[in-house]
Amino acid sequence: MKKNILGILGLFLAIFIFTALKNDSFLNAYNMQNLIKWSSLYAIIGLGVSFVIITGGIDLSIGSVIGLVASLLALMLSKGINPATCMALVLVLSAGIGLLHGLLITKVKLQPFVVTLCGLLFYRGLARYLTDNQSMGFQGHDALDSFFSGKVAITAKFALPAPFFFLVALAVLAAIFLNRTVWGRYLFALGNNENAARYSGINTDHLKILSYVVCSTLTGLAGVLFAFELNSVQPASTGEFYELYAIAAAVLGGCSLRGGEGSILGVIIAAAVIRLLYNSINMLGISTHLEYAIIGAVILAGVTVDELVKRFAARRRAQQQAE
Amino acid sequence: MLMAEAAPQPLLEARLLSKQFPGVRALRGVSLTLQRGEVLAVIGENGAGKSTLMKILAGVQLPDAGEILVEGQPVRIATVRAAQQLGIALIHQELNLADNLDIGANIFLGREPRRCGFVDNARIHAEARTHLQRVGLDLPTETIVGTLPIGRQQLVEIAKALSSQARVLIMDEPSSSLSQHETETLFRVVRDLRAQGISVIYISHRLGEVTALADRVVVLRDGENAGELAREAITHAAMVRLMVGRDLSQFYQRQPRPHGEPVLEVDRLRTPAHPRREISFQVCAGEIVGIAGLVGAGRTELLQTVFGVTPAVGGEMRVRGQTLRPRSPQAAIAAGMALAPEDRKQHGLILAMSVRENASLPSLRRDQRSGFLNREAEQTVARNTVEQLGVKTPGLEQTVQHLSGGNQQKIVLGKWLALKPRLLLLDEPTRGIDIGAKREIYRLMDQLASEGVAVLFASSEMEEVLGMADRVLVMHEGRLAGELARDQLNEEAVMSLATGATARTELAK
Amino acid sequence: MKPAIISTGLAAALLLFSSCNESGDGKKAGAAKKPKIAYVTNGVDPFWDLCAGGVRQAEKAFGIECEVHMPPKGLADQKRILETLLAKGIAGIAVSPIDAENQTPDLNEAAKQTKLITQDADAPKSARLCYIGTDNYKAGRAVGKLVKEALPAGGEVMIFVGRLEQLNARQRRQGTIDELLDRPVQTTADVKFDPVAGVIKGDKFTVLDTRTDDFDKARAKSNAEDAMTKHQNLACMVGLFAYNPPACLDAVKEAGKLGKIKIVGFDEQDAALQGIKDGTVHGTISQQPWKYGYESVRMLKQILDGDMKSVPENKFFEIPFLIVTKANIDEFWAEKKKMEALGKQP
Repeated sequence: MKKNILGILGLFLAIFIFTALKNDSFLNAYNMQNLIKWSSLYAIIGLGVSFVIITGGIDLSIGSVIGLVASLLALMLSKGINPATCMALVLVLSAGIGLLHGLLITKVKLQPFVVTLCGLLFYRGLARYLTDNQSMGFQGHDALDSFFSGKVAITAKFALPAPFFFLVALAVLAAIFLNRTVWGRYLFALGNNENAARYSGINTDHLKILSYVVCSTLTGLAGVLFAFELNSVQPASTGEFYELYAIAAAVLGGCSLRGGEGSILGVIIAAAVIRLLYNSINMLGISTHLEYAIIGAVILAGVTVDELVKRFAARRRAQQQAE
Repeated sequence: MLMAEAAPQPLLEARLLSKQFPGVRALRGVSLTLQRGEVLAVIGENGAGKSTLMKILAGVQLPDAGEILVEGQPVRIATVRAAQQLGIALIHQELNLADNLDIGANIFLGREPRRCGFVDNARIHAEARTHLQRVGLDLPTETIVGTLPIGRQQLVEIAKALSSQARVLIMDEPSSSLSQHETETLFRVVRDLRAQGISVIYISHRLGEVTALADRVVVLRDGENAGELAREAITHAAMVRLMVGRDLSQFYQRQPRPHGEPVLEVDRLRTPAHPRREISFQVCAGEIVGIAGLVGAGRTELLQTVFGVTPAVGGEMRVRGQTLRPRSPQAAIAAGMALAPEDRKQHGLILAMSVRENASLPSLRRDQRSGFLNREAEQTVARNTVEQLGVKTPGLEQTVQHLSGGNQQKIVLGKWLALKPRLLLLDEPTRGIDIGAKREIYRLMDQLASEGVAVLFASSEMEEVLGMADRVLVMHEGRLAGELARDQLNEEAVMSLATGATARTELAK
Repeated sequence: MKPAIISTGLAAALLLFSSCNESGDGKKAGAAKKPKIAYVTNGVDPFWDLCAGGVRQAEKAFGIECEVHMPPKGLADQKRILETLLAKGIAGIAVSPIDAENQTPDLNEAAKQTKLITQDADAPKSARLCYIGTDNYKAGRAVGKLVKEALPAGGEVMIFVGRLEQLNARQRRQGTIDELLDRPVQTTADVKFDPVAGVIKGDKFTVLDTRTDDFDKARAKSNAEDAMTKHQNLACMVGLFAYNPPACLDAVKEAGKLGKIKIVGFDEQDAALQGIKDGTVHGTISQQPWKYGYESVRMLKQILDGDMKSVPENKFFEIPFLIVTKANIDEFWAEKKKMEALGKQP
């Protein structure tokens, strides 16, 4: 199941080198720090949704869950609730959301698209209602703030942002889970062919539920990280459309929307490619109106090349076999 | 091979057709001739290449090599429409009728006669009536096709082919879902057509039907011509010999073996597919029990219910004396069952995964090290599977997608052997695989039974049922129509139970 | 079976919601026999909650009842809300049209059935009785003046904004640029816009670029970060939408460039106000949202009372913007808090 991540890595390097050659400031420590920070934040939700996509599902509620978690966190902290309790509550809530999605999809047999689309609307509305749609900040929580959005100095000039460490830890865990455990193997089997997995004695329902729980929990954690990174929460807009970034990262990183394929490293690089594109567009001073067009075109080109390479390899293999 | 000097110019001739699919060579230089007004039977085991040959003749697929002649002229049949213009029509196993339209509309679908730009319904129904009469159907042409029984739908399909001036009718297993009475009607129609000068290529598994109907038999084996039998030479034994390439006794290996305690006891079991039918039977250790029946008789559904895929809606099951009502395959597997499903690509294998990953899938959990994969155990299981069943693969990391059907089927079976099942359920164990792989699977079934495994297999291949089973359960419309012991086994007995003719039930008790 | 379950569920949900609404509306309906008017926003935003504060204040001051409606998802929702209000026979509506050009026929229809005014955004071709709003070009010029104040010697300036598709954003941007380059004042109704791409250079000030973020605060922040990377001599960031100044402030603070890079803003988010108090944000331009609400209610009330004299000749009632700097921050923030509290009242 090892996916070829060379394609996405090549894309990343190509944009990276191009921008570095065109702009002197691009490589400076401050910019690299920022690139790592944003890439890490979006990669975490990309990882989450990868689990769901591997099983052949989808999660459209990611942005709204981020909004809900960030809003509730700010609300509870402003009410003077113990920060540890707040963290525990929002993470349990996110896991609960995933559990709910999983149960609706496996037991009630609703379409993942429908369930999470309704989630997208519901959690956003809930966040706005619970907070009276007020923007909120995180003043006076410096300890939490430095834990979730602080920096660890590596050299005098260069420091690694906190989200990076979260990403590394999560990525290692996810890679171990997917590649070293029985359930990881089951997840890939389920995504490739749910029926065959079931006929082989795999409890496919439990695994699907698990994948939604993992997705929502990572999303919840990302919600906390985003909240502290931005230092303020707008219940109506925080996290809006982030599911699209997450899904794009997962798909660009080698997860097939038909399920059964996925690579942790690929997803992380893909998330970085999207952030790098935004950064490069700013660095190169390309008109702000062209941003979406460029990002869409580059992603499409990447996916197309990947597909063509794959097909070429398959034809080569078929020929070799025929001989 | 060619009988050019004796026969008149054939209506249709195929010369040295070859066709290759990824990983499989479906046809290797197959030739065939068809005379006017002849009923030619094409027989062969599953995977022998019959379907591919017919698809080429009917324009569904193009051959890689070889040529086709109609009345001596070379033709290229690239599309179904091209075949129709040459007068060749294929009657599919699954009928191609629009259920919601009436008979007349179906017969003229896509080429409706018009008047002033409007569909001329009066003419449709008038002409449809004459075509219906040719197949012996006396029905109002306004009848909606979906309301007709399957046998009559088939006759409508034949009438439709005749209406487009068909001279060659290719019928692919036309009797596989027909009752005995319907089959008789079909035979009468085929004979009538022959009398009208229409040629019929008749594909069937049922050698009894072939004996009754065919003027000549062409036998295919592993994508090649295995031989031809003229009218007077058509006998059951001769056909089987050509199909399997040797005598039956050599092909279906069976060692004498004692039967042990019952492993599976099924008592008034009701499946969700036929919730009002109660099924009771048992399978003993060391016994091979076959399930026969027509398409749709409920064989697959029965196996799936026993295995917990579609949980039972009533009745009792005991596995090795323990009461069990599996609600999922996990429960069935835990009780010592294994199922090799009918559709191996949909249910049996994860095509994009490797031989190793497929072979080890059911035993991963047993071999786990507190949740982590046990790579050595996995490797061992996979290697054993490949060696024990003689899977031909470049290596354990080969994706099973690129293996041949026979090797894929061996993996479907092999992945269970590591778990040492006590009851092996096989649904069409040799569908779509070559003769060599078939023999190995028969050998494996026999070997497992000798080791005391209870084997229950469903098959639509008569020779397989007759050759392998110690005992046969015959199903008809969701119920158990009867049970035949080894010494009562013959094609006629199975068919008469399968078509619901009589209930000559000889229950074990 | 399945549709039955779904429809039962839907019915139950509807019942639940409608009963909630009834308990709320019931009280009001019983208490009041006065004519009812409505205040319709273009979306959901804290800005509108401040406006609602002004609405509540005016309700008390003029003894009229006003419903506040915030369409959550754009044009379709706003249309639905307007239709419902008309069906209820509402006496007057103050609306912020989302797509003025294309909504004109709908607005004309509404104007036939009720007293219609626009606020915040205008629909000049419709039959609305009056438009209540800020002159965004003038407000932009005020932003420019704040920048000049912060950087007396001039320097490089970047502009950050949510979207440039909106007229108010373009007018604010142009006002800022014109002021920085000491160009003559243009007429608001007919402003010529500079192209978005390209550096705009004046004698003292250079406007390097304008970056948009589509209301995504994470991108607002990363745009500010990237600007600092690309332009080492950047001297001032101008944030034209409410969340832009706090995002700039965050980025500047993390980069350790507080004081080196000045920040000038628009609107009145708390983080920006705190920045003004701390001296990290130079100043901001407030449209005093509550005045939108207050003046809308006042205007509708007077129109309903038959007093058309309060409607200006040119149908434009201008809400003056307020320049907020360290000098008046405490007073302003207190006012905002009061209005926020009022706006939250049901």
